[in-house]
Amino acid sequence: MDAEKGKTAKFLKGTRTVPREVTEQLKYFTKTKNQLIKVLKEGEKTIPQLSEILGLPTDEVMFQLMSLLKYGNVQAADMDDRDEYFYYKLKDDDKNKS
Amino acid sequence: MEEPVKILEFDVLVVGGGIAGGESALNLANLGYKVLLVEKELSIGGKMILLSKVFPTLDCSACITTPKVSEIARHSNITILTGAEPLKITKKGPHHFEALILQKPRYVNIPDCTGCQLCEEACPVSVTDEYQYGLVGRKAAYIPFSIASPRAAAIDIENCTLCGACERVCPTQCIDFTQTEEQIPVSVKSVVLATGFNLFDPLKIPRYGYGKFKNVLTSIQMERQLAPTRPFNAILRPGDGKMPDNIAYVLCTGSRDKSIGNPICSQICCMYSIKQAQLLMGALPMADVTIYYLHIRAFGKGFNEFYAQAQDMGVEFTKGKVGKITEKENGNLILRYEDIETGKVKESEHDMVVLSVGVIPNEGIQEMFNNDDLQLDPYHFVDQSDILASPAKTSIEGVFVAGTATGPMDIPDSILSGGAASAETISYLRRVTS
Repeated sequence: MDAEKGKTAKFLKGTRTVPREVTEQLKYFTKTKNQLIKVLKEGEKTIPQLSEILGLPTDEVMFQLMSLLKYGNVQAADMDDRDEYFYYKLKDDDKNKS
Repeated sequence: MEEPVKILEFDVLVVGGGIAGGESALNLANLGYKVLLVEKELSIGGKMILLSKVFPTLDCSACITTPKVSEIARHSNITILTGAEPLKITKKGPHHFEALILQKPRYVNIPDCTGCQLCEEACPVSVTDEYQYGLVGRKAAYIPFSIASPRAAAIDIENCTLCGACERVCPTQCIDFTQTEEQIPVSVKSVVLATGFNLFDPLKIPRYGYGKFKNVLTSIQMERQLAPTRPFNAILRPGDGKMPDNIAYVLCTGSRDKSIGNPICSQICCMYSIKQAQLLMGALPMADVTIYYLHIRAFGKGFNEFYAQAQDMGVEFTKGKVGKITEKENGNLILRYEDIETGKVKESEHDMVVLSVGVIPNEGIQEMFNNDDLQLDPYHFVDQSDILASPAKTSIEGVFVAGTATGPMDIPDSILSGGAASAETISYLRRVTS
């Protein structure tokens, strides 16, 4: 069976079921991403600060925030007064508008 | 599945596209032999392409690997299959092997992909990035890493939600979800095994707390943190993003340890740890670095001088066997160790611990061979049947071995071994035709 170029995902959907964990993981990432972006819209934060505000473990915030840094949503700012933690802020482009 | 139309023919099948397999393939191809290079990962370049710098010269690893990798990729005598592995290799007779190669679907037509990363941006999924050794996320539509070869996207179908966002933004329509697994039969005259090694998984030593204590990481994770294509914006603790200032290295993690079934020396963990310590001193000038070791084996050319250089830079060397690691509430780690000089048990606190993990053989190579017995050594590396006279020879005539498939070794030795394997293969092929 031929699938139209550019619309082949639809074709595979006919034969392959997306596992539940995958959709759950997507929901979790989207939720955490939106939460982090929302908090960072109010100003620069360090990982421990974000962890406290969101009630998420620091290693989890670290992982998700570093992913957002890689994806280009977030950038690093200065370090705190004790030179221990970086502040992170949103990138000034339209990536974070949604 | 469609019936295979014809059997592809090559002079040599090289299994493994790391630095040893790459070196062999390149030498063979430069002398006019047709090579099929089969790599199970999505990119060639092996582990070396992911390293920061090499010891003892501190040359940039990627700067050495990438030109070589492009030469391999562009060579007219080399055909590369990534995301592929031999299912079986059957010896049909002298100088005649038939192999069945499993080509897993990438869901991207490599020649059409420009590497623009628009699919990556559009993909809503974020999962753990295996090429950054779990330190950060990646998308389900992704380019494995920035200097990957081929620099083409791939779809991680296991984590894909089939939303089609990648396809909609792809300017060349190179994404193709209709791809399926293929089995490609090939006929070759000889085989070079360059299947490399695995790193020891420290989850097997629960008393070190890897996985549980987030500021305990492996040496390859630190290697990624030190590379230009690093996962974080600086060298940071994965547990909370703090910049570390007192780092410990635990050498021989999973090496020289009968209790975990690997009694042999990794041959690299002393030197790569000394290298990382030097790089850390450069990157974090205020940091203390302590290396806990059993013996420092600085046996190669320039290695002892490199060790002395680290000592001069202020790296602390403690002859001690670490028994247990515990975590404090602030994420710092307490190392309980036997001070070998005094015989006393001591404790020390560090804010980050790097486990210098050992070298483990790749499994499943023996099973590829259908009707011949590929012999392994007592540690499950490929046995060199005539190690002194013909180091690339295996127990099967016409099958040669290169690099860390034979046992632990460093990069220069792997390249030498790749060279030796190509020379022995050519000698074998010439004997056929003359």
